[in-house]
Amino acid sequence: MDGFLAILVGVPLTLYIAASSFLIGAVVAVPLVLALRSKVTVLRVIVRGLVDLLRGVPIVVWLFILYYGISIGTFRFDSVSAAIVGLGLIAAAYLAEVYRGAILSIPEGQWEASNALGFSRVSTFSLIIAPQALRVALPSATTFGIALLKDSSIASVIGVTEIVFLTQAEARSNQSGLEMYIIAAVVYIALSFPLGLLSRWLDARFRKAVVA
Amino acid sequence: MSTTASPMPKVRLRQVTKAFGDHVVLDSVDLDVAAGSVTALIGPSGAGKSTLLRCINLLERPDTGEIVVNGEVLRVQEGITARELAQLRRSVGMVFQSFNLFPHLSVLRNITLPQERILGRSKEEARDRAHALLERVGLSGKAAAFPGRLSGGQQQRIAIARALALDPEVMLFDEPTSALDPELGLEVLAVMRELAADGMTMIVVTHEMQFAQDVSDQLVVMADGRIIESGDPALIMRDPQHERTRQFLSAVRDR
Repeated sequence: MDGFLAILVGVPLTLYIAASSFLIGAVVAVPLVLALRSKVTVLRVIVRGLVDLLRGVPIVVWLFILYYGISIGTFRFDSVSAAIVGLGLIAAAYLAEVYRGAILSIPEGQWEASNALGFSRVSTFSLIIAPQALRVALPSATTFGIALLKDSSIASVIGVTEIVFLTQAEARSNQSGLEMYIIAAVVYIALSFPLGLLSRWLDARFRKAVVA
Repeated sequence: MSTTASPMPKVRLRQVTKAFGDHVVLDSVDLDVAAGSVTALIGPSGAGKSTLLRCINLLERPDTGEIVVNGEVLRVQEGITARELAQLRRSVGMVFQSFNLFPHLSVLRNITLPQERILGRSKEEARDRAHALLERVGLSGKAAAFPGRLSGGQQQRIAIARALALDPEVMLFDEPTSALDPELGLEVLAVMRELAADGMTMIVVTHEMQFAQDVSDQLVVMADGRIIESGDPALIMRDPQHERTRQFLSAVRDR
């Protein structure tokens, strides 16, 4: 019971890191996807490279680089910030691809109708394409959000006192290590299950509004 | 709206040419459409009918040529400014084969949003206009519905209402009934007949020969990226001058 409570202490930090990095990712992915679709070749190539770089290196390596490797003047990341920034950037790269696929899935006719009516480029994108693409992106984005919740456990390697970090500590000081990890598993399931429900509910809701 | 002959046709195309790679889809096409008239564009598939139609509102950019709509002259080679493009699209409404209503917006919002954004109309004004147009196309009861819930014929009539809400000078129809079952096509054609009777300038790419014969003032036959014959619909249908026209008409009649 003590072990269980000790592990629960990590829940707010796990949620904080996962939610913050997801939010950063969801927002930063917007300029990334616009750049990926840009007519300016240089911009497109640079951002393409950046996205592939972010996705091509394991999260744990990014966290080490950010936590131990970045020092500008007196500035250094604390462990929680390093985790949020690292996971946030990876989320941005991943979600940019999700957005890109969603935008591509919108039929050409939607662009054409919007252009023919006389909507500007900005209006076409923001009023016609983006709202439809967002609905398409939603299931993949929430699935990624759930994965991110679990991946935030990697932050334990740089000393963030989230669920897995506390579980390891309990397991070391406790006779039954396995028990602690099973508790951790149950806690993660309890956190991700409602997210899965939310995701399916949102998806069904949007589907109902759009398709016959 | 007056249907008397004006010095300048409502739409005038000169030497419009377009190639996709080596394939010439439009070969120096000239076309005049008088104000208040209906032009039917017919011809075998691949003739360039849709491409020509889409060049009129620059949904397709010709390689060379001149496009005049409502007196505004656009020469493609000289480049076209965003302002000119906006002006052109304000003058020209378009209806697509696949309707292309915005599925995330209600029927009412499909019709009001462009009015508010493009013409700067107030919400009340846009709504009043939308309701009037919905009544005109026989769908007053569907304002709150989403497009996905409607039949193809209903969607197409709403697409027509959406385009009309912007008070275009010219309406382009790109095979408006080709994606529809015959009886649903009829309700769309009925709306188009009314529109023609009201004096709207219309250019219609169609395979509906009956409609072309009954409603159009000018029949234009295309093949291989050229206009091979044009003129009085009844005359061309009775006595086609060009061999390709003869072939096409008999193929359509045999269907």
